[in-house]
Amino acid sequence: MNKYDKITPEGTRDALFAECTLRRQTENRLHGLFTARGYSEIITPTLEFYDVFNREAQPFPMEKLYKLTDSKGRLMVLRPDNTVPIARVCATRLRNAALPLRLCYQQTVYLSSPSLKGRDDEITQAGIELIGSDSRMADLEVIAAAADALQACGEEYRLELGNAAFFRELMSQLNAPDHVKETIRDCIEAKNYPALGDILDAMPQTDTTKALRMLPRLFGGEEVFAKAAALCKGQHFASILGELHTLWTSVAQFAGKERVTVDLGMMHRTDYYTGMILRGYLAGYGEEILSGGRYDKLLAEFGYDVPATGFAVNIDAVVKVLSRQQNTAPEMQQRSNVLIWAAEGCEADAVEAATNLRKKGLIVEHSLSETLEGAQKYAAEHGIDSVLPIEISKANIKAEGGAAQ
Amino acid sequence: MNRPIRIALTKGRLEKDTVGMFEQLGLDCTAVREKGRKLILPVGDGSIEVVLAKANDVITYVEHGVCDLGVVGKDTILEMQGKFYELLDLGFGRCKFALAVKKGTDFYSGYGVKTIASKYPNVTRRFFEAKGMDVDIVKIEGSVELAPLLELSDGIVDIVETGTTLKENGLEVYEDVCPISARLIANTVSMKLRQAELEALISKIESYFSTQNAG
Repeated sequence: MNKYDKITPEGTRDALFAECTLRRQTENRLHGLFTARGYSEIITPTLEFYDVFNREAQPFPMEKLYKLTDSKGRLMVLRPDNTVPIARVCATRLRNAALPLRLCYQQTVYLSSPSLKGRDDEITQAGIELIGSDSRMADLEVIAAAADALQACGEEYRLELGNAAFFRELMSQLNAPDHVKETIRDCIEAKNYPALGDILDAMPQTDTTKALRMLPRLFGGEEVFAKAAALCKGQHFASILGELHTLWTSVAQFAGKERVTVDLGMMHRTDYYTGMILRGYLAGYGEEILSGGRYDKLLAEFGYDVPATGFAVNIDAVVKVLSRQQNTAPEMQQRSNVLIWAAEGCEADAVEAATNLRKKGLIVEHSLSETLEGAQKYAAEHGIDSVLPIEISKANIKAEGGAAQ
Repeated sequence: MNRPIRIALTKGRLEKDTVGMFEQLGLDCTAVREKGRKLILPVGDGSIEVVLAKANDVITYVEHGVCDLGVVGKDTILEMQGKFYELLDLGFGRCKFALAVKKGTDFYSGYGVKTIASKYPNVTRRFFEAKGMDVDIVKIEGSVELAPLLELSDGIVDIVETGTTLKENGLEVYEDVCPISARLIANTVSMKLRQAELEALISKIESYFSTQNAG
């Protein structure tokens, strides 16, 4: 008995017709947008060695990876992320290439999610990586591309900026064991005010604990910068906040003030970010649709110490939002313009005629019916405008001509 | 025009306590009080909508963003986990998770692997994992107290309010696991896209608690 031969694994699904069209359109739009900015596409394998993702900060928990072994018994994974393999490529094959490198990709990632939560395990991401610069312009270029990518996916979008170094700096000032710091990080990520308060209450009260207590609330518009500056004093904080504020002002200029917000308590689940981080949201979807930031230490882990920044768009999420907005009944298939029917012996001529019509941009389908009536009936049922019968064969004309001579 | 702010409430006691709190805040909850069999109900001037759901579903709806806020017990949050913001401890629905055993049992004695019955296998697993202790966990759906009485398990991990049920069945609390109360949770994207509206409501609730605590 083949028990599982008619279903797809949990977290995966088949996409049919209209959904594919929408997906392809979104992918093409984003790809066009990236190439117009000078980004070149790269493709990395779906299968990678586990070691590639087994990074120092453990950004990918073992239980979330799809694992298998190769013929030599080595542990492999279906890639859970696109940035790490691209960092690997940059540190190896592109090591001697001139910097900066502008790379774009569009590939699936695989992460196993808790069952029955309605989540996808297989997600297509389209994104860019800008390798080899730690300048403000590099961050701005990436954020601008992110704004354009969001704009291409929906009018009502929001771009959110943060900085991973802000929280790191606060934590370095906190005198606490690592597991407590880990819990604090989780509380801030979950904006869990009560639990965060409980942990901090148990510590000696300092400026740092006061700032940490407020950190999950430090999100919103431009006013956040003043609030944060009042809480976190010192040269390092001032420079992080100043830098982020300058970025914010630039982004507000080209994207519009109402579309860009700040969250200083923003944390990414993948922990390789070091500086500016960003997220993008679309109205009507309960999770972020775009995510990225600066990761200046990741390539160094592969032995190539260059800074980098980038982001990825979750194509599956965008397609969900768009298909809900379009609200169209799932269309069966593409409609053809012409149905070509061939009488017996004229099949090759029908193929030639179809090729010629397709060159003119028409969608041409061959009738598989034995009779012309059958073809006409089929055309009526499938909304095909015209039926073209081919009843004389070139081969016959030639043959007849030859006979006449 | 945006849809109203949608709040998922855990049906039953938490729902009543939340409605009570809303009324104290001056929100008209007539529709919820006279709900009949309806599950989505308007509150106040119609800018808020209440959705009545089972505890686990409150988290699911909020996680997916079809509800912006939710009121749910910490017990459910600990068992389900998930990605959402946990904004406020609402203070009501207070009780605790506890390890209970047959009266007079020394739970940690002996070298055998213990069996624990619970409606909350994840909470149980984490509790014993933190102790570095291997246990067999059996998921029970109904009255967990039966399991040690029928000698299926050595103990139970369950919600304890007054302890009366335990006592009447010859069980006792052996060790507290953690306290529980109702929490206000929020979808992570709603919190950003509707920040002003949600923060207005949240600060209203916060000030309600601070005056209540002061009084």
